[in-house]
Amino acid sequence: MPEILGASQLVVELGARRGLLRHRAGVRAVDGVEISIAEGETFGIVGESGCGKTTLARTLLGLQRESAGEVRLEGRVVSGLDPRAARRARDAIQYVHQDPGAALDPWWRVGATLAEGLAIHGVGDRAEQQARIAGMLRAVGLDAALADRYPHELSGGQQRRIGLARILLLRPKVVILDEPTAGLDLSVQAAVLRLLRDLRAQFGLTYVFISHDLSVVRRVCDRVAVMYLGRVVEEGSAATLFAEPRHPYTRALIAAAPHLDGRESGPSLPGDPPSLRAVPPGCRFHPRCAHAAPSCATSEPVREVAAADHAVACLRWRVLA
Amino acid sequence: MTALRHLMRDPVAAFGLLIVVFAALVAVFAPWIAPHPDDAFESHLLQRLRPPSAEFPFGTDNLGRDILSRVILGTRNALLVAVAVVVAAMAIGVPIGLAAGWKEGWLSEALMRVTDVFLAVPQLILALALGQLLAPGIASAMVALALTYWPFFARTVFAETRRLRSALFVDALAGIGASPSRILFLHVLPNAAPAVLVRATIGMGFTILTAAILGFLGVGAAPPSPDWGLAVSEARQHLPEAWWFPTFPGLAILLLVLGFNLLGDGLRDAADPRLRRSRR
Amino acid sequence: MSPPVLQVEGLAVRMRTEGGVAEILDDVSLTVPRGGTVGVVGESGCGKSTLLRAILGILPKGGETPRGAILFEGRDILSDRAASARGRIGFVPQDPYLSLNPVFRAGDQILEIMRRHAPGSRADRKRRIVELFRAVQLPDPEAALRKYPHQFSGGQRQRLLIAAALACDPALLVADEPTTALDVTTQREILALLRRLVAERGLSLLFVTHDFGVLASVCAEVTVLYAGRVAERGPTRAVLDAPRHPYTRLLLACHPDRATDLLGIPGTVPAATAQPGGCRFHPRCPIIHSGCPVEPPPLVALPGGRAVACPWHEDAIPEALRA
Repeated sequence: MPEILGASQLVVELGARRGLLRHRAGVRAVDGVEISIAEGETFGIVGESGCGKTTLARTLLGLQRESAGEVRLEGRVVSGLDPRAARRARDAIQYVHQDPGAALDPWWRVGATLAEGLAIHGVGDRAEQQARIAGMLRAVGLDAALADRYPHELSGGQQRRIGLARILLLRPKVVILDEPTAGLDLSVQAAVLRLLRDLRAQFGLTYVFISHDLSVVRRVCDRVAVMYLGRVVEEGSAATLFAEPRHPYTRALIAAAPHLDGRESGPSLPGDPPSLRAVPPGCRFHPRCAHAAPSCATSEPVREVAAADHAVACLRWRVLA
Repeated sequence: MTALRHLMRDPVAAFGLLIVVFAALVAVFAPWIAPHPDDAFESHLLQRLRPPSAEFPFGTDNLGRDILSRVILGTRNALLVAVAVVVAAMAIGVPIGLAAGWKEGWLSEALMRVTDVFLAVPQLILALALGQLLAPGIASAMVALALTYWPFFARTVFAETRRLRSALFVDALAGIGASPSRILFLHVLPNAAPAVLVRATIGMGFTILTAAILGFLGVGAAPPSPDWGLAVSEARQHLPEAWWFPTFPGLAILLLVLGFNLLGDGLRDAADPRLRRSRR
Repeated sequence: MSPPVLQVEGLAVRMRTEGGVAEILDDVSLTVPRGGTVGVVGESGCGKSTLLRAILGILPKGGETPRGAILFEGRDILSDRAASARGRIGFVPQDPYLSLNPVFRAGDQILEIMRRHAPGSRADRKRRIVELFRAVQLPDPEAALRKYPHQFSGGQRQRLLIAAALACDPALLVADEPTTALDVTTQREILALLRRLVAERGLSLLFVTHDFGVLASVCAEVTVLYAGRVAERGPTRAVLDAPRHPYTRLLLACHPDRATDLLGIPGTVPAATAQPGGCRFHPRCPIIHSGCPVEPPPLVALPGGRAVACPWHEDAIPEALRA
């Protein structure tokens, strides 16, 4: 499958401020990220909180401006534009927020919110709007009568479906799902995942699936990138990555996920996720790494191909393999 | 309508609303309700300072005018002043607050510092000064009140806009390509409306009170127009004998200001759809 | 054999709401043996937080008087409103970000909790806190006393709150989804800490969660709640490996580790004001039967210390549902 969305040497600096008196340097929330997402796949991005996964998503979307590097969409370079132009150029990408309830204007009925997206995208005819909305509500498994409700009158699962309906009405090709199952009960989560799978087939979508739940990622993603402190440390097909993780961080992350059978495998990962304000020199993971050698503190690992469709950025992956 | 139903469920707010609606009705129909509508301007020196009786339930004033009629006729002035001042203050304050809240930068800073300067101007002193500068009268008092009240709206709208600017739903709107003006006027402004409404309602009460004080000080309404503050001021020379003379206009001020304040508090809770859930 | 630390007997909680009378808990029984670890698991609306509130004595005012009994160390703490009776129940809350007042030093807040339980001078208490901080593996315990909540990471804050729960020298630790707000890596550490504390200090643990993986790693026994009733209970391993109640079976089939396909459960959890009659799961049940009892099905004891509230627990779930 050809690439639909990709990024090279992507750098995003956040929070830099040039004031009259203070000059505050920013943090690099995304620092040299390379990704390539193929058409029709579900591409997972995992990592601890603060690893930059949400910033990466917002940058791909064009809501956050890249500081350097390139973003490609359907073979065109869509980076280096001013924010409005960037968002317009990336109209084929849409984003579903982590908290779907808060992403809806509390004063607007759900139907009005859905119609608004269509109006913005040039579908002004009321009848056509209503027809498309009714069809889309059916597609996401909701009763059309729900359009008359206010967001707070919906359950968590319904809000998520509305969030999906809202962006699918805009006929995107790539949908970025930010923690699409966070805070959902198990049974609702299963229903939402099934819905996502069905919608992908029905509308020919490509998903970027951001999650910290490795069980879910393993289940629904075709390929996965693991992020640590703004960098992708390992990337590969979900099957290989979960079966033969190469990076010590990936291993620790997989080991930390609780399993139904209660088994605990591998060493735990001590310490807290580090801060972007104090990025360690050399390999960023070395202070928490159980296998760090002295050289890890001085030289930065580069992305190496470990196998077909499997890349890792670790100085010692060959030794550890 | 849902908001109104919720308001009525709160007895204190419903009481406030009752007072305000009652005052508004009185104001509209004042000439027909007042037993002696001509007493707005006519004086009857033969019946000065009569205590409350069946003929004059609130008594008569120093010029023999029926105080009940003058309280009723004064309602219209009080409300007109309040509405005019609050509308003018909103017309200045809301756009400034929106503009300053939406964008960060020098313009926002400048707008908010100007707001702070106006916020620091003592209301009564500005009113007195303007009264001297222009002509003492209700018009200059209203200008002074509007000039000193708009910063409250600017501050309120500024704070709301800043809060909403980082709200997830605004982010989502930007995500689906909504233009800034659409976000600002169709989403941010309605969401800021409850706070503005509350501010406006309390501002009405506040303005009525301040207008009464200005009338009392002699820079507001001019005699013989039926003004509550003016009446209290005129009554000073006839105290303590004619207790009814300041009492009833004073009670009218108290009641209407109270009504607006209670209503304002109630609106704060009732107008927000998010709060309705928790009350259900 | 010593008596259980906590025994909940036939607990029923009803609340009057604007939508009618909400039956939040109905005939819930639960036992936490001394030194035992018991998990309460269920989806939102199953009543697990109300159960927790009843045990902690913080049910909202204005509800009907709960029926049943909650015995803590042999004393009925449901009818006995005296706080002293609950003195030795330590509580670990869900969100470490919300549970500490940001303007006071963390140490002072825990000192305040301790003052109610531990006599002795301030210096004594401080020494004891430092000990507790050490026990929960908070780095640099002496310095931690003087820090404000925001100076700790999420995982450290949760450790602080565990230390606070230990401050009253509890016999029972009650934890409400203590790792939901944390990263998996931190979650693993906190769970390991809880396990160690239970083993070393002879504590008993009641652990409320919606996450079966977390449950499996901490709890020896589990009680599954559905719509305010116990659906099934037994040793965690046995229940997770071979669930017997149709609800537990469907729910576990939804788990990404387990599911052959993503099933979901048809329908939604009923509102507490409109609980279905008979078995509360029957409107969603795949093996609903003409022989289903009209009354709520009682818990039937099974071998291996298990119990299930469904007479058809032997029946297979129809394959048709696995669409």
